[in-house]
Amino acid sequence: MPLEIEVEGLRKTFGRREVLKGLSFGLERGGFLSIFGPNGAGKTTTLRVLATLLTPGAGKVSVAGHDVREDPMPVRRTIGLISHNPMLYLDLTAQENLRFYGDMYGIEDRDARIDELLDRLELSHRRYDVVRTYSKGMRQRLAIARAILHRPRVLLLDEPHSGLDPRAVDILDGLLAEIRDEHTFVMVTHNIAKGLEWGSRLMIIENGRIAYEHAAGVDPDAFVAVYREHVQEGSVL
Amino acid sequence: MSGWRQFMAILRKDLIRELRTREMIISMILFVLLAMVIFHYAFAVKEDVDLTYFTGGMLWVTFIFAMLLGLNRSFAQEKDERCLDGLLLCPVDRVTIFFAKTAGNLIFLLIIQVVAVPVFTLFFVQRGYGADIVLFVVVLLLADMGICALGTLLATISMNTRSRDLLLPIIFLPLIVPLLIAATAATTTIFATGASFGATATRLLFLLGFDAVFMVAAYGTYDFAIGE
Amino acid sequence: MKKLVSAPVLFAAAGVLLVTGLLLAFLYSPIDASTMGYSQKIFYYHAPIAETALLAFGISFVAAIMYLRSQNDKWDRLGVVSIRLGLLFSILVMATGMIWGKAAWGTWWDWEPRLTTFLLVCFLYTAYFVLRSVVEEEQRRATFAAVFAIIAFIDVPITFFATRFLPAGMHPTVITASGTGMPGSMFFPFFISMIGMTLLLVALIRRDLVVEELRDRVADLKHSIGG
Repeated sequence: MPLEIEVEGLRKTFGRREVLKGLSFGLERGGFLSIFGPNGAGKTTTLRVLATLLTPGAGKVSVAGHDVREDPMPVRRTIGLISHNPMLYLDLTAQENLRFYGDMYGIEDRDARIDELLDRLELSHRRYDVVRTYSKGMRQRLAIARAILHRPRVLLLDEPHSGLDPRAVDILDGLLAEIRDEHTFVMVTHNIAKGLEWGSRLMIIENGRIAYEHAAGVDPDAFVAVYREHVQEGSVL
Repeated sequence: MSGWRQFMAILRKDLIRELRTREMIISMILFVLLAMVIFHYAFAVKEDVDLTYFTGGMLWVTFIFAMLLGLNRSFAQEKDERCLDGLLLCPVDRVTIFFAKTAGNLIFLLIIQVVAVPVFTLFFVQRGYGADIVLFVVVLLLADMGICALGTLLATISMNTRSRDLLLPIIFLPLIVPLLIAATAATTTIFATGASFGATATRLLFLLGFDAVFMVAAYGTYDFAIGE
Repeated sequence: MKKLVSAPVLFAAAGVLLVTGLLLAFLYSPIDASTMGYSQKIFYYHAPIAETALLAFGISFVAAIMYLRSQNDKWDRLGVVSIRLGLLFSILVMATGMIWGKAAWGTWWDWEPRLTTFLLVCFLYTAYFVLRSVVEEEQRRATFAAVFAIIAFIDVPITFFATRFLPAGMHPTVITASGTGMPGSMFFPFFISMIGMTLLLVALIRRDLVVEELRDRVADLKHSIGG
């Protein structure tokens, strides 16, 4: 069965700095990849390449069967990105934000879908308020709604738990649990517990290369030791 | 057609945002009215100076500088909260973004022109004719198209640089001079001499050509301007 | 063949042609019959410099398109070099034009189409360098510069057309020297100067490209040492 995400020899240079030095990995459909690594290692860059926000300098990257460089449009339809920037228009209401993205993704049942998500994320009571008035946790919840509005098969998460209040963490986890099947995930995180809890594959990226890669089920203490070795004492930019 | 739906979505989003905050429009209108006062004092060096022949020039200079203000603002908003990323994640042709942004900027420019033109003519034009309003509107629309298309393309580039506010005038103004020449000449002909279509035909055709050429250029290069 | 078109050879050839052109201009061509007299002779440099400047910008236009298609740095270098030289030549056009204007008509400046176009061209391509200076990442800088170079070059003929045909109440241009209907005795030195100037441009581009490439390599080395 073809892999949902295939990365082969991915290189990326910004100016003179080579941030990604030849990454290769694959993720099967339904898999959950947890990526750890020190700051500046290239984790977010990798995610952004998968999201088609950056083009690969060299190498081949395909998501859901489409090459991100040759054929980015179908890729965009199948992915959703949740990062610590909510990517929401502050002066628009929740409803207006979601309607906008609904139109941009060409969703057929736009309004019904918006109602459904606002309910699920417990934001219905604030749907007509501008996002500027939202707390950080609420913005993050709305960002989740934005990301899954178009029912993407692949979810890319960049430190999604950071800065969330406990309630929001619960809602996020609940949502992830609900859609865990039939979806493929790539999550960049500094939260070892969450990464181990969710991941079916674990990866540490260090200095633009894969320093460690393993299927889930490792002994947590052993992993923490490896993590410490690469992330906390590993080279940091 | 999904391209149209996306175009309308972006346009609607920008209009709602502007109508709600009124940031751009209010500053642009204030700018325009202040410009009028400043022009008066800049040129009124003698008693009873007749500025009719200069009205066209003053109007277009004012519009171009007001547009620079507006363009900076409209793209700064996309950079906040990384909304531009959100937009680029969508399965949308980058050129659709260009057309939608240009259309939005065009609407804002028209709004301030609706205010500015009557006020300027009231204060500066001292001739009695009914100038050919229809012809003037044609000039307005053609020139606006060029200003907005070129301005949107260049603002997309400049917002991605270090000193975005400062860069935009430097790259925009030299390019817009030919349009300024044509628009000013046509406007002056209409207001100051009450001329009709024949006299302004060359300038109208030029504006049309200018718009077409730069639209095509923007269409071809916008992917590169907005990327990464 | 490479030896024949290497920079020193080109410079020599250019030098010979330009000096020849100058000598011919002064000794061979007739003195202009109109009021301009001797000062008309500056035309033999002024016009070739102008046309060479435009040639340089044309090269930058092609280089920009090629860069956008290939992302190869060498096209970006060619763009920078040709625009820099084009800018230099444009300033010379204005300088020679202004000298000519002063000598022939007594004024340093006139808002006539050609001078005005070159003035705007100078602003335009200076803006190119300003743009480059505020983008830090190399690939983005080259991409934006290429987009701007394309737009700018398209604007040059448009600007000339606008300054020539559109302004209100414009008196017809007085300078009529640059026509193709030149008598042979005037055309020949002009032609020699023209070739010489073009060769000079090519020589300068070649030399500058080498300098630019070295500069980039040094920067790369510095970066990898951690400088």
